[in-house]
Amino acid sequence: MSADGLGAGADPVDIRQEMLDAAGYLSRPAASDAPPAQRRAGRTSDLSIDEEFALHAIGWEPVQLVCGASLYSVPMGVWNWGQGEITSASEAYARAFAGASDRLHQECTTMGGRGVVGAHVEVEVHRHHVDVTIVGTAVRPVGSRGLSADPVFVSDLSGRDFALLHQAGWTPLGLAAGASFVYAPRRSAGVAMKQKNQNVELTNFTEAMYSARESAMERMQSAALAMDGTGVVQVHVEEGPMAFASHAVSFTAFGTVVRLVDRHTRLTPRMILPLDDPTPAFDATSLRGG
Amino acid sequence: MTTAPEPDDVPEAAARRFAGGAFTSGLTVPDFAACLQMGLEPVGFVQGFCVMQWQWYGMGSPYGTFGVPFQGSTSGYSQTWQCPHGFVSAEHRSWGQNYEQSWIEDAWRQGFVSAYDRMIEEATSVGAHGVVGVVDSSDRLSDLGVLEFRVQGTAVRVTDGPPPAGGIPWTTYLAGQRLAKSIEAGLAPVSIAATVSSVRVWAYCITEYLTEGSAGGWGYQSAAAEIEQMSEAHMAVRRIARQQVRTQLEGDSLRGASMITTERELGHGDAEVQCILRGNRVRRFKAFDPLPPPQPTVRLL
Repeated sequence: MSADGLGAGADPVDIRQEMLDAAGYLSRPAASDAPPAQRRAGRTSDLSIDEEFALHAIGWEPVQLVCGASLYSVPMGVWNWGQGEITSASEAYARAFAGASDRLHQECTTMGGRGVVGAHVEVEVHRHHVDVTIVGTAVRPVGSRGLSADPVFVSDLSGRDFALLHQAGWTPLGLAAGASFVYAPRRSAGVAMKQKNQNVELTNFTEAMYSARESAMERMQSAALAMDGTGVVQVHVEEGPMAFASHAVSFTAFGTVVRLVDRHTRLTPRMILPLDDPTPAFDATSLRGG
Repeated sequence: MTTAPEPDDVPEAAARRFAGGAFTSGLTVPDFAACLQMGLEPVGFVQGFCVMQWQWYGMGSPYGTFGVPFQGSTSGYSQTWQCPHGFVSAEHRSWGQNYEQSWIEDAWRQGFVSAYDRMIEEATSVGAHGVVGVVDSSDRLSDLGVLEFRVQGTAVRVTDGPPPAGGIPWTTYLAGQRLAKSIEAGLAPVSIAATVSSVRVWAYCITEYLTEGSAGGWGYQSAAAEIEQMSEAHMAVRRIARQQVRTQLEGDSLRGASMITTERELGHGDAEVQCILRGNRVRRFKAFDPLPPPQPTVRLL
């Protein structure tokens, strides 16, 4: 840290000298030339260098790439016409999400992490099964070792968002999810005939959508309360009919549960007016050939 | 990926081209500018290719084992499940198994490492210290079961810098400002690291029924149930990839990793799950100097 307490990051960096230092280091035989038995397994992280900078700025570091996966079956025939909620499908979603999250927790704890940031959540709802996979990077306060009294958290916030939340005095607790799949009830023959060749609202679908939405959001909120959370941020919502069941609607939601640790710290952002041309420089993914 | 290269193997035309005077580069203009700022001089756009015959069924395939759990591979992940129903019929899947398809992993590794080593040979032949902005891919060339591995990047020299240990250039997927930030954070690039893991799911009766939403005539499945064999396959394939890449690291760390998992359904609960994990192997060359807490800003546009 420099004398003004801002840290070396505030000083101008001689990147050319830094590169020479790195080249000089790489020109020496590596310590990894030690016998295989003495080598330790390396750390892995899918955080970007910017995210890692942001984490280090608040005193956290990546530990290991961790994952959780769970697939639950959906019984045959449940997508046929019916009334009300398709409870077995909603249950499959909830249990697959919880299963994947639990396994991620276990991996994080095993690896010595205090939480997971940047979790990529993938959910696929098929006719006969719901697949949930979560991959993220376990993190911990720099230099901390061993178990902590604080529960392990899981969050799909980026390293930058996690740092921002931390600065504001909040902490993530875990992922909360809610889903509901609801049949759009059949219209009566009379109503169907009456609405034929008209552009009118299909209230059966609208009502089904509202019903699914209320159940899913309520489940997500209940999960947040069960974690003793204050709220849920970065909620991802998907809704609409499904390709394999056009007479049913789905509403799924998940997000990161947060809680105020002590008191909220007001962040007073500095306004900046960029003077550079608003031309995009390059596509970040181009470096990976993705 | 650290085999000492043989520069003599560089194609004659490529060697002539590299000796031509003008450098070539795959860098964008901003990346090019950032490299110059760091004291990295581009010397040539280097590439390595390897075309492999690619078939799913290699040595150790379970086909032809006539219903006996696969015993061909003595190493790697393997897990079996037994049918709870007793003998039902010859068609009934009385056992199930997840196993690591090491022959696919080995073939992928062979293709990738060959292409990588050929790129390194080219880089070595032009006296490069490193290769930045590496892009790798593996694509099917045709429907004939042919897979092309391609690794390419821009060979660079560190101005007034010493050559890397053993004369083998370091490599990184990063270029430009991202590489500059990594260096600033005290992380020197060592090499790219990539691996593939492959798990075959040979479904037993319960997995088959659950993936089809049925109870297979054994009552009525009314509630959601975990498809344990598939869940385990998805966990295992990621863990294997992570373990394989950690073994490559030899104490260094992998940053900016990308984990891509695909599942190929083969019907009746059978599947192949594959995971490709790649990233930048880096080594800390100086102690980390904590940054000040970032200052939030709002852009006025």
